[in-house]
Amino acid sequence: MMINILQDGFFAAVAAIGFASISNPPRRAYGYCALIAAIGHSIRYVLMNNSLVEVHIILASTIAAFFIGVSAVWLAPKAKCPAETCFFPALLPMIPGMYAYRTIGALLLCLYHNEEQLFSHYLYLLTYNGFTCLFIILGMVIGATLPIFIFKKVSFEATR
Amino acid sequence: MAEAFHMEIELAIMPANVHLSVNDPLRDERYATIRKIRKTGISFDINTRLSKLSWDVADHKITFDEATALFEQILLTPHANQLMVLILASAANMSFCRLFGGDPTAMLVVFLATLVGYRLKQILLKMKVDIRVVFILSAFASSVFGAGAHIFHWGTTPEIAIGTSVLYLIPGIPYINSISDMLDGHYLCAYARFMDAMLLTASLSLGLCGGMLLMGLRWLS
Repeated sequence: MMINILQDGFFAAVAAIGFASISNPPRRAYGYCALIAAIGHSIRYVLMNNSLVEVHIILASTIAAFFIGVSAVWLAPKAKCPAETCFFPALLPMIPGMYAYRTIGALLLCLYHNEEQLFSHYLYLLTYNGFTCLFIILGMVIGATLPIFIFKKVSFEATR
Repeated sequence: MAEAFHMEIELAIMPANVHLSVNDPLRDERYATIRKIRKTGISFDINTRLSKLSWDVADHKITFDEATALFEQILLTPHANQLMVLILASAANMSFCRLFGGDPTAMLVVFLATLVGYRLKQILLKMKVDIRVVFILSAFASSVFGAGAHIFHWGTTPEIAIGTSVLYLIPGIPYINSISDMLDGHYLCAYARFMDAMLLTASLSLGLCGGMLLMGLRWLS
């Protein structure tokens, strides 16, 4: 279990660095982004894969994002970057990309099939994937921005 | 910042323009401008430098002329090295494959698929091809490569390889921005960004769909 958690954190960190690099963060932010992403993603992993309570992906992402927000606010003054620069890349490994493109895929198949049963099946896939995707992102953003508003002074004055 | 220069400002941010009106209460003069928002890639480096600049101005550490000079300089901040981004993005997508439960073979396939797709994206963007076309073509290239594992029966998780091979194209930051605009009550901007992100996702899906059709694979069940 412990090894799985560490592995999850490690790969999330690599993913965060890579996807962050597409959006040109300042060089000194890379390490912080990786650390924050590892914390966030492994928290989500633990919440979703444990024998006590299996938390739903939407709630798990929200809670994980909250911890990402807290660590971003805490580390932002050390990195001398706005908290957003630290937590946006860290959120990227949790973006529900597969749900997003499966939604569009299901839409295409909906249009392609006119038989009622198949159409309903793909409509179900369309709404299931679409809702899940939307609410994961919503939860993530709420979770991650809450700490910024709670610690307004620290997070807004990180570059002062 | 306006306070530092004893001015009052009103600011309206629209999806494609910014309206700014500056009022000088001492001289009763008013200056208004509407500017188009520059279309550039996201750069957190520029964001960070601008944030620093705004504090320097607000704390009276620099004069107006120095601030303008610094601003011009910040706009020229270079983008990260293309080759480095290419390799990091490929490694990132490979890790993503692992997070979804892919085996080492699938990870290698995803790394190569991303390398090809992302390089194509860089080349096409440099040629100033429309971004939606770029997304369709890159997703197509990546999914054709990603389908390789399925066709040649490499490893035990070939379906994960295809599924994750295009994930580097998901416009994550526009989605996050859209929702945070919505929470802030900037509904117009939120909607505009959301539609932008949806269109890119749709383009990506089209490319993926085309790639899978070409390789004779069934798309979604």
